[in-house]
Amino acid sequence: MDLSFSPSQQMLQQSARTFLQQRCPPERVQELALDPRGFAADLWKEIASLGWPGLLVPPELGGSGGSVGDALALVEELGRACCPSPFIASAVVATSALTAAGGRRARELLPGLALGERICTLAVLEESGRLDPEALVLPVAIPGRLTGRKLFVPDAHVATDVIVLGRAATGPTALVLPMDRAGIRARPLDSMTGDKLFELEFAQVEIGPDDRLGAPGGGWEVLGPAFRLGALARSAEMVGAGQRVLELCVEHARVRVQGGRPIGAYQAVQHACADLFRDVESARWLTWEAEWKLASGQPDADAAVATAKAYCGEAVLRVARRGHQIMGAIGYSEEHPLHLFHKRILAASLDAGDAALHLETVARAIGLT
Amino acid sequence: MDFGLSGPEQAFAEEVRAFLRTHPPETFPEDGTDAGYGSGAHSRAFTQALGERGWLSMGWPREQGGQARPMSYLLVLLEELAAAGAPFGPLSGCLQIADSIIRNGSETLRREILPLIARGEATFWQGYSEPGAGSDLLALTTRARLDGDHWVLDGRKIWSSHAGIATYGTVLARTDPDSTRNRGLTMLMVDNRLPGMDVRPIRSLTGQVYHYEIFMDGVRVPRDWVMGKPGEGFGQLLKGLDTDRFWGRFYKAPFLRRLLGMLVEYVNTARPGDAVARRRLAHAATEIAALRALFSRAAWLIEQGRPATGEVSAAKLTADELGQRVLSMGMELLGPYGVLRAGSRWARLRGEIEHQYQTSWGHTLAGGTSEIQRTTIAVRALGLPAEPRVRG
Repeated sequence: MDLSFSPSQQMLQQSARTFLQQRCPPERVQELALDPRGFAADLWKEIASLGWPGLLVPPELGGSGGSVGDALALVEELGRACCPSPFIASAVVATSALTAAGGRRARELLPGLALGERICTLAVLEESGRLDPEALVLPVAIPGRLTGRKLFVPDAHVATDVIVLGRAATGPTALVLPMDRAGIRARPLDSMTGDKLFELEFAQVEIGPDDRLGAPGGGWEVLGPAFRLGALARSAEMVGAGQRVLELCVEHARVRVQGGRPIGAYQAVQHACADLFRDVESARWLTWEAEWKLASGQPDADAAVATAKAYCGEAVLRVARRGHQIMGAIGYSEEHPLHLFHKRILAASLDAGDAALHLETVARAIGLT
Repeated sequence: MDFGLSGPEQAFAEEVRAFLRTHPPETFPEDGTDAGYGSGAHSRAFTQALGERGWLSMGWPREQGGQARPMSYLLVLLEELAAAGAPFGPLSGCLQIADSIIRNGSETLRREILPLIARGEATFWQGYSEPGAGSDLLALTTRARLDGDHWVLDGRKIWSSHAGIATYGTVLARTDPDSTRNRGLTMLMVDNRLPGMDVRPIRSLTGQVYHYEIFMDGVRVPRDWVMGKPGEGFGQLLKGLDTDRFWGRFYKAPFLRRLLGMLVEYVNTARPGDAVARRRLAHAATEIAALRALFSRAAWLIEQGRPATGEVSAAKLTADELGQRVLSMGMELLGPYGVLRAGSRWARLRGEIEHQYQTSWGHTLAGGTSEIQRTTIAVRALGLPAEPRVRG
């Protein structure tokens, strides 16, 4: 057993924390959250210049070929700063799907993704809201024309490309399309989390064999593992955000004086803070255990990721919700960052599979028939 | 990050499993009740069988007769025993006492007690709580005064587990009559057979005897049967409490996982297609996995010699509260069958849920209440100011 971060992970954590403290303070997060079309193009450019979007891209395609653990260490810091960015959708999920699928289109796109010049989003969920190959309806015929809609597509306003998962006669089939392909239209969904989510409408969009990602009918084989990575990354993002909520609450409990003493000297508040600590710690090490299982090819890695995602969604949301009680009235105000973390955690808990989906994976893994 | 076992650790796990196959746990006579922490019943015979394999002393330095194996081997042993439901109740107490003796015990204690522990012939009770000193342990009134080559011990301890079937106890006593609170305390090792010892059983809500009350009336304890130095008992206690909380709860995650497996099988056969039960069991599985992760983290910190007070308290707290939730869920899933005792004709899952449901209500009190754990995390790990003491 070795529960220490590797030197490269420690370096990433340190540099990311310093960078994000300077360039992505809470006021910036606030400003971006309140702007319905907000995107920190300057911040993304700087993030790109640090090489982060290329972390999971193979070196021969312009990336640094880092490990999943490296990406998680970074994502935990992004979560700690509540930094809004297309990192997880584009640099983790889409990038790993393209890398796994290979082929000409992937080779064309990955160098631009590594540089952060391209951003690839994901159009998977439909009206059912279920991340499940069985729930896919959008009909795909190649060659042919794509007509229909996808919901909850992140960052479509800044994406250059989109991976679309639809249903062909052969089964779930993935496409990768440029966002400026004729007939694709993005309409914003107004989400309270501050995430930029869109409805993507496809009207007679011309698609050909070159647009396909992976084998016909093999779309889930390409995207399933990428979503697993996405679930792990969202878990790490929640852990980072939860850690910051814990810090904000403990700091508040130390300095806020009522009844002649810091509220942190009242057992009721102490015990709430202790619960936050427990929830964040357990979520963190469960997430890293899943990372280890995935990286070392343990047979129960899928179940471990599902376990971590379901648990983080519950435990870290509890941290945010309890945090409001510790923080008191100031935490209810828009200017205080607590709600930003709360909403980021909520969004992360829903993305890459919600609790119901992951608990079903766990149910099968523990032998429920 | 590596949460896995090394090759030799895996080989040792297989060695333990092979031992359990050739020595089925249920064939060992039990002499004390299963307190539900995951270490099963108290069985001297099973403890001695572990001793025969050298497993009780494998972590000790070679000069004390051990094999100097790293802590991870003990974790493997406990995890495998818990997963098999083996009766190793006294084990963690023995391991901790041995650790204290090796670190801080007198030469006499090392010579007299360590070989007995290694063979599984000595088991221990802890004499900390008193009728007037529970969470406020420092209010204790048991005292010992030096008289020639002996301490003369007077006082009363309570809630000591398995004290009536153990051989020795560690008793925290005030040895400086002018001292208060955390000064002037000494940790003595007391032989149950000494004149003046009166160990009386307390029947638990399970109907069985687990705890004892110990009356000590002029008990003469040899002067060098002391853990640490006289007057430094509080330091011994604190050091002990952290590890006590870890070693006394580490096996709860594999234990709860075993219970969950039983409940999964029950739902598969008795309540197939019950979507609510399915969701609840899956949810419990995530919580048990999270508990295991907390213990992994705490174990790693302890191995590294780093402070782990907050992590250990968080793990202990979670183990016991989660245990209550899992057993409560078990009761609900079994419906009216849940309350039938082991041995009754219609009992399900051998009545184990019924028994462990009852024991679970003591766990959030023993070894420091959940309130004490939360205060410990808040003050010692998070740095919040201590609550002011109210002068009554």
